[in-house]
Order: sequence, then C-alpha cells, then structure tokens
Amino acid sequence: MNSDVSRLFDEYAVRYSRGERPDARAYLERAGAGAGELAGLIDAFLTRAPAPEPDENTVALMQAWAAGEPPLLALRVRRGLRREAVVDALLAALGLAPEKRAKVARYYHELESGLLDPAAVSRSVFEALGETLRARAADLQSWRARPPEPAAAAFLRAPEPVAAPPAALAPAQPEEEWDEVDELFRGAGPT
Amino acid sequence: MHDARDAEDSRLLDANDHTTLLATYYPVILERCKVLVRGPDWIDVAHATVDRLLSELSRGKRYRVPYRVVVHKVIEWKVKEHFTGAPAELELAEWDAAGDNPIEDFERRYYLEGLFATLAARDGEVMRMRYLDLLEPAQIAEALGIEPNAVHQALWRGHRALEETLGE
Repeated sequence: MNSDVSRLFDEYAVRYSRGERPDARAYLERAGAGAGELAGLIDAFLTRAPAPEPDENTVALMQAWAAGEPPLLALRVRRGLRREAVVDALLAALGLAPEKRAKVARYYHELESGLLDPAAVSRSVFEALGETLRARAADLQSWRARPPEPAAAAFLRAPEPVAAPPAALAPAQPEEEWDEVDELFRGAGPT
Repeated sequence: MHDARDAEDSRLLDANDHTTLLATYYPVILERCKVLVRGPDWIDVAHATVDRLLSELSRGKRYRVPYRVVVHKVIEWKVKEHFTGAPAELELAEWDAAGDNPIEDFERRYYLEGLFATLAARDGEVMRMRYLDLLEPAQIAEALGIEPNAVHQALWRGHRALEETLGE
C-alpha cells in the first residue's frame, strides 16, 4: 500500500471518528492515482465504524425531508428568518450588486422549493447559506426535495414554496443575459 | 459485539423515532455512496437508500440484526442497482429472515472491534487506540512503551488488513 494512501486514510478515519464529517471526495482527489485504493479503505472503515451522534441540523433536515417538505425551507423557518433576510445575506456574502436582488431572490426561491438542482449551484452559495442558516455548507448541498410517493401524492399538501412564485419572483425573461448570478446558481458542475 | 450505538438504535426503533435514527446514518450513507459510486450520481444513490430505509421503517419493519447492518446492506444493494441497472435487493424482511447472516460473520464485517480481533495483538491494540480512543501516534507509543515508528508500522499493517477485507 502506498504510504500517502495510508496517511490520507488515517487522517480521514480520525476526523470521521471525532465527528468532524470530512468529505471523502476531497480525500480521493488528494490521493491522485491512489484514489481507488483509498476509496476501498474508506469504505471498509465506514462499514465498521460506529456512526457518530447526529447533530441538531441533520435531525431537523431529515425530519423535513421525511415529511416531504423542502429541507432548506424547514431550516430557514427553524431559524426564524424571512426569505428576504436570506436573500440580503446572500447578496452581501457573494458581493453582488443591489440590482441583482430580484434575480438572486428568484433563484433562492427555486433552490429552497426544490425546483433548482443543487448540483448546479456553486459551493460559494452554499457556504453563504451555511453562514446565514448556521449549518454546514456540505449538509445543505446534500439535500434534495423528496419526490412524493405515487400512491400518496394526491393526498400530500404541496409545500407552500412549490406553488407558483409571487410576481416579484417571476421566471427569467428569455432575453435576460447570462451573468454572475446565473453562474453562481446554474453554472456549477455536478457534485 | 453490540456497542452503545446499537443500543441507542434499538431505543430509537422502539420509540419510533425514525428521523433521528436515519439522521444518525445519513452522513455515513453519503460518504459510502461518494466512495462507491465515485461519480455525479452518488447523491441520487444516497437518497434512494434513505428513501428505502424510511419506507421500511414507516411500514413498521423490525430486524433480527442490528440496524447498522440493515443500513449497510441497503447501501450496497442500491449501489449495485446503480451499476447494473437491475433491482439487486431482496426484501429486507426476507433477507433478515433468511438466516444467512451468522453473528460471527457480521461482527467481523460491520464492527471495527471484529476486525481488530483478527490482527496480531499489538497491531489490534494500536488500531483500537488510534481509531476508537483517538490517540495520537506519539501518545500510543508512550502508552505502549514502543517506538513511534513501530506505531506507524502497526497502523500500516492494520490498513493492509482492512484493505484485504474488501470484496468479502
């Protein structure tokens, strides 16, 4: 076994056991040609290591997801924040001009409602959201709105934000130019 | 070889606290799917796993094996389905009742202690101190009265042993 793989595995395993939630993908990237070997070691470890206690955010997000509600919305409501406050925080954290507010609001609405694929959203957006919602960026990025079970779909109340967006959040006009806001919310590659 | 985690899982199952139980395993489901799928679909496989586990819990399923074993089995089935495109899983209840999961097998397969018990005594002790007690190599060396280099060698052999379990 490559000594770099052994060292990276040791670092990952100790951090995981401490409850730090290291990201395996970052370690595989650091391993270069040893990524396959490291992936096997990490998997063998994770299969055997006791799962750490869940934190409050993960429980709250799971609760929302299991109930068919958008997890990001549930977390914002739990924090007692209005959507406008989150949009303001995003503008400030991402260094966006005030005239971009409507566009950011529209994208945030879509993200929160499960209408926008989180995989396309830049990591910096999730980091800004993590600051505002007091959650790990990686946690926020990992949730998807849960599709309703077919049999139960007719009986499920559509979560409020999935309804048609308010006029102020109207869909983008076709002639709108691609800008840094589009890049942030739609330009990222797959996770 | 049931540990405190298993006891807490049983308590959560008895209390029907499914969301806390699944929240406990959510991080490990994500991480295993990242390393097993190693592509952009890992998140979909992870969510399919959680969905399946939640569906079983909602139907009031109970298992003979510790819940962690069920979680890891479902991850492996969902990853296999992802790569083969064909349903890979047995009904959990069917699998659980099949009796092909002897205690000694899943203890070695799903518990660090089970793996450590298969190593040379000193290597197992070093691995235990590193990954369960979370001691630094220098602290392990001091506690065991051995050279730091001997700790690193023991860890390397332990990593090799872990690697050799792959595909079992």
